[in-house]
Amino acid sequence: MFLALKEIKHEKLRYGLIIGMVLLISYLVYILSGLAFGLAQQNTQGVESWGAERIVLDKDANTSLQQSLLTKSQTDKLTLSKNESYVGQSSVVAKGAKARNISAQFIGLDTKQYIAQDMKLTSGHQVNGANQVVVDSQFQQDGYKLGDTLKFNSKTQAYTIVGFTENAKLNIAPIIYGNLSTWRTLKNLPDSFTASGIVSKNAKYTSGIAQLKSYDVHTFIQALPGYSAQNTTFTLMIGFLMVISIVVIAVFLYILTIQKLPNYAVLRAQGVPAKTLVQNTISQALLLVSGGLVLAIALTALTASVLPMGVPIGFNLPLLAVITVGIILTGILGAIIPVRLILKVDPVSVIG
Amino acid sequence: MSVIELTNVNKSFGVDTSKIDVLQNINFSAQKGEVSLIVGPSGSGKSTFLTIAGGLQTPSSGQVVVESETMSQLSPKDRDALRLRKIGFILQAYNLVPYLTVAEQFQFVDRIKTQHNLSTSDLNALLQDLDIANLVKKYPSELSGGQMQRVAIARALYPDPEIILADEPTAALDSERVAVVGQLFQDLARQRDKALVVVTHDMRLEKYADHIYEILDGRMKQAS
Ligand SMILES: Nc1ncnc2c1ncn2[C@@H]1O[C@H](COP(=O)(O)OP(=O)(O)OP(=O)(O)O)[C@@H](O)[C@H]1O
Ligand SMILES: [Mg+2]
Repeated sequence: MFLALKEIKHEKLRYGLIIGMVLLISYLVYILSGLAFGLAQQNTQGVESWGAERIVLDKDANTSLQQSLLTKSQTDKLTLSKNESYVGQSSVVAKGAKARNISAQFIGLDTKQYIAQDMKLTSGHQVNGANQVVVDSQFQQDGYKLGDTLKFNSKTQAYTIVGFTENAKLNIAPIIYGNLSTWRTLKNLPDSFTASGIVSKNAKYTSGIAQLKSYDVHTFIQALPGYSAQNTTFTLMIGFLMVISIVVIAVFLYILTIQKLPNYAVLRAQGVPAKTLVQNTISQALLLVSGGLVLAIALTALTASVLPMGVPIGFNLPLLAVITVGIILTGILGAIIPVRLILKVDPVSVIG
Repeated sequence: MSVIELTNVNKSFGVDTSKIDVLQNINFSAQKGEVSLIVGPSGSGKSTFLTIAGGLQTPSSGQVVVESETMSQLSPKDRDALRLRKIGFILQAYNLVPYLTVAEQFQFVDRIKTQHNLSTSDLNALLQDLDIANLVKKYPSELSGGQMQRVAIARALYPDPEIILADEPTAALDSERVAVVGQLFQDLARQRDKALVVVTHDMRLEKYADHIYEILDGRMKQAS
């Protein structure tokens, strides 16, 4: 540690550059994983806020809530408990006095069932009459207030915003909650259709109707349009970045160590144990990598605080911890590779 | 009492036709309280002799005994430890850590050898003798060749080794400094009972030596 610190202090530029490089790489990894996590969250937040364990859909709907329809003749045979709720999904373009058009997900609910009953609002009240909606807080950020109205698609009916709720996102779009009859209107469906599907908090729930299939929520989320493709892309990008950072950090530490070998040979001649020199190299790598990481975390926090609201970025502590440990291990690995050189260094080589 | 003893030591490099015998049948011993000077032309094998005596290289044949320990019977780790405790190497130019100040060079020794180093007052006296006490805050790159060499001598003496092996310790010094270093070596032998083995071209050191040996084409003979 003594040598490691003194050397960093004496060679500020050289080690500053290495810390800078670690900083940039880990900053990139943090931001990318933040974006990946943020996007994933915006795909699933809505479903997660329902506490859903199982989703019942038409078995021919390819696990898609959007594609699924439950008919009245099917649902008439069911009695739902307080753990189940009908959901009708429809993609809509919301237009209002404020802001540009917003692509949103309309979710029709039965106001007497649990999702509507348990919904946490940040302001306003639940839907309790015709032509009312509760919307995601993104609308608030876009300038909407309680009492403002929205129109959907090319329809002329205006809907009044009566409440705001947080974390209501599905397929990276804000959710607009209304009732099921509004859903039918938006979908141009007659009364003979009840909903798109049934959401249940009960992990064992099935409808018992042959045409309907019950999926666990994990399967449902994986099948959300684009969800797994996005995640695979990000995972690959982060994976490649980690591999590249291993190579870059390892190469730098390797070059550094080679430059130090004549000096290490002298120290070995003077009887300094190889262990001390190996410890020195590894603790130095740790110092450099943790220095870079601390700065990267600070820079990431700064970035997150100045990014516009529209950029989906989210941080998850366990994920960040895993990445941080991963980068530290990368640094140690990079420092261990040239250890062989240190062990082999020949003290005689410096004696002419 | 002899602290280093080389018996029938041979050293050759390479094999078959490219084989060169650098040291042939060397018998040598160094005693406590004496300065041994080893002279010889460039390439005659002086440094090779010194590294074998200090346990940095192993001879092709023959035996090296340091402080009653037979070098070939020690593990590499024990040889390191013996070097750290007993032997001070003064190497030509490179034995300072470039990113440590002069003062820190000694602090570093304190970290790897925690006991029996020179006391602060002894160190200060040594720095005064060598006229480098005013350089303690400087990095090696800020020193002249002769200053570096004197710091390197102090660095090697700081752990208070029984045996001091020096390779061309005065190459960069003017006559005045050579006299200081020669006198220092003689005092170390006479007053502190150290064994000094000094390899050099520098005949100015002759008058401080108790024995002078000459290496010629790998063979050693006593000159006086
Ligand atoms: N590792 C080695 N491999 C092959 N030959 C070597 C090796 N080390 C030394 N030699 C050869 O051994 C001979 C003696 O080298 P050494 O360094 O001991 O000479 P020296 O007396 O110290 O010379 P100088 O006064 O120039 O320092 C030289 O011819 C050198 O080329
Ligand atoms: Mg030599």
